Amino acid sequence: MKDSSTAAVNMNMKAAKKERPARMRLESLKRNKLLYLMILPGVLYFIIFKYLPMGGLVIAFQDYQPYQGITGSPWVGFKHFIRLFTEPTFFMLLSNTLILFALNIVIFFPLPIILALMLNEVRHKLFKNAVQTIIYIPHFMSWVIIVSITYVFLTVDGGVFNEMLAALGLPKISFLTSPEWLRTVYIGQVIWKELGWSTIIYLAAITVVDTQLYEAAEMDGAGRLRKTWHVTLPAIRPVIITLLILKIGSTLDLGFEHMYLLLNSLNREVAEIFDTYIYTAGLKNGQLSFSTTVGLFKGLVGLILVMLSNRLAKKFGEDGVY
Amino acid sequence: MKKMVKKMAALAICSALVLTACGEKEKAAGGTTGSGSDANAKTSITWLNILHTASPPTDTIIKKIEEKTNAEVKFSWIPDASKEERINTSLASDSLADIVTLTILDNSSVRNALKSGMFWEVEPYLNEFPNLAKISEDTRRSASIAGKLYGIPFQKDLARNGVVIRKDWLDKVGLPVPKTLDELMEVAKAFTEKDPDGNGKNDTTGFMDRSDLVYGAFKTLGSYMGVPNYWKVSEDGKMTPEFDTEEYVKTMDYMKKLYDNGYINQDFAVTAKTDQQQKFAQGKAGIYVGALFDSKNLKNMAKGVQDNMELVLANNITPTGSESERHIWAGNNGIGGLLAFPKSEVKDEAELKRVLKFVNDLMDDDMYALMTYGIKDVHYKVDENDAATIINQDLWQQEVQPFASSRPNETGYKIHDSDPLKAESDKLIKENAKYAVLNPAYSLESETYSTQGSELQKIITDATYKYILGKIDLNGFKDAVENWKKSGGSKIIAEYEEAYKAAKK
Repeated sequence: MKDSSTAAVNMNMKAAKKERPARMRLESLKRNKLLYLMILPGVLYFIIFKYLPMGGLVIAFQDYQPYQGITGSPWVGFKHFIRLFTEPTFFMLLSNTLILFALNIVIFFPLPIILALMLNEVRHKLFKNAVQTIIYIPHFMSWVIIVSITYVFLTVDGGVFNEMLAALGLPKISFLTSPEWLRTVYIGQVIWKELGWSTIIYLAAITVVDTQLYEAAEMDGAGRLRKTWHVTLPAIRPVIITLLILKIGSTLDLGFEHMYLLLNSLNREVAEIFDTYIYTAGLKNGQLSFSTTVGLFKGLVGLILVMLSNRLAKKFGEDGVY
Repeated sequence: MKKMVKKMAALAICSALVLTACGEKEKAAGGTTGSGSDANAKTSITWLNILHTASPPTDTIIKKIEEKTNAEVKFSWIPDASKEERINTSLASDSLADIVTLTILDNSSVRNALKSGMFWEVEPYLNEFPNLAKISEDTRRSASIAGKLYGIPFQKDLARNGVVIRKDWLDKVGLPVPKTLDELMEVAKAFTEKDPDGNGKNDTTGFMDRSDLVYGAFKTLGSYMGVPNYWKVSEDGKMTPEFDTEEYVKTMDYMKKLYDNGYINQDFAVTAKTDQQQKFAQGKAGIYVGALFDSKNLKNMAKGVQDNMELVLANNITPTGSESERHIWAGNNGIGGLLAFPKSEVKDEAELKRVLKFVNDLMDDDMYALMTYGIKDVHYKVDENDAATIINQDLWQQEVQPFASSRPNETGYKIHDSDPLKAESDKLIKENAKYAVLNPAYSLESETYSTQGSELQKIITDATYKYILGKIDLNGFKDAVENWKKSGGSKIIAEYEEAYKAAKK
């Protein structure tokens, strides 16, 4: 009942929006000028720090030399794009980036939801809070520390894990230098660091679920699992979809720092991703134009993925992020 | 309501004003160079410098430097580990200082910046200053780019690398100090298998190496094997990269044997320098290959952990033990980089001369002592033979050590370290100079090398590690070399040969 009425109001508003003439809009602008003034700093921030610097992207079409500046550097058209797409490294970068992205979505993304649902079922308040706090902590550690800890655990030269394997009579595994283990180590570290932190939003969403719904479900004889499946999950579905789209938006941001620390000569074929490549090509070797090209390409891929997933979300009847 | 809006606007404007005012102030402070024409006035100098220690020094030594050079010095430190990106971004955004320490002269953007005329060419001025005039012609040529000297070269020892071995372990296993590569292998074997630390456990290895094919063991062992220093040039001017030689493969085989038999730490490909040194100091291995003077640090680090550690240095290892085969690679041909002076900061000749005078003064005997050992009777004491002993190690590390890499010249001073290991390593480093192999391409120009050289080098570095760890075989390595040539290596060879011919004329 309640639901249908709000939906009706929504419909009305949507219809009204479409028909509203320009004059009316101007009037509302005047009426709410204080509100508009208040968003001004935010808008300015985005213009100055996000949109204006985008102008710098033109150096992707130049042979940019810092001391000649954007105005003085020669224009080279699509030279850097051609180089990017014809170099054999391109497919390595693209596939490495996409595989890690897929792992992030398929393996990492559902975990916080499951954990949040499980925490939600914990009745002992003190225990629940303690667990929450403990699993947040890794989020505040830097990647340098986490990678160093893993190094101490996984190194073949006296690493705890390998010593355990040896004690069990198993052969040692060189986790840090074998390409086969890189992705496992990577995703394992991501889970360890971010799992607890990512549950926060889901837990917050769960707390606002109407308790009457649970009571009603109980009346109908639903057990815990049923309640979770039929009440909690549908209630937090919009949150899940929004977060998924946002996650996809940062697709190709797999964490430069993290990967850079894991990267070495022996796992480069699976570990080199766009971020690390941009860093070495652009900042270390000073090929500013070329690395801008790589960054631009990466940004475009991210944009396309967001638009696709947003459309998909709308198709499934959700709101999407825009 | 209206009043509030006005107030807010006023506040916004005020803060904007304050912000811009700050900005201007900073700008004024950034471009500091004494504008007074009086030669006796204090020069103020900013210096963008590389930091090789964990934290920047305190003011003590800077005050002394200022006193002695009659200048006001302001350092901006860049950690060595991030020097490439920091220097590149500084060059790109033109946020430099009066003096810029450039240590990566083969980096393309650094090279391009130098060639573009961003920095003063200093050669015409050198002879006006007594210490700078003494910089040898060879050094000047090696440090030049396209024939021009764009800064004061850091003068370092030609070849600093060698082998550091646990003497007490050698005695324990009953082996002499190795003179040939085979003997060195024997020592590594004995250190691994014969329980040199006598704890009854099989927990030691021969070598302790780190993930560095240049400053770690690989390049030095390669030198002993006869590998050229990056490039070999034949009499008719043909250039061959080091990894396209038989000796390079032999060195890889040597390392592979060490790895396969467990004579080297198995994770050397991912071991950092600090871990390497610490593990050596903890007695986990008995052979360290690196800068010979590291021996002193290793011994210091071992205090309280491995008190019976005795170290012996070796720099005369060859395939068969004959003197005629001795080689050791010269790091950057003895040039530690350039002290360069950007035209955007050092505006005119008069200013340039003031800054040059400052650098010249840094090379004086007392300044060398100050930047090496610190302040007499605070950090070190000295005997009648000019042998200096550090009396407060912690204080020295904190206040003095960071300046060691800022010394424009490190050779030819009377004062020396009284530490026997340091004295011994100084002696051997001097001896190394006789057998030093230079990189013939160091001052040659190759457009492809400066833009893609380090990208291409990755192909070789990766393949070398994979070969040593047994992930690819010789054919796989040969493929990598072919790949290197195809991806631009052939062009580098052609360009170097061209440049070599031009330089010979």
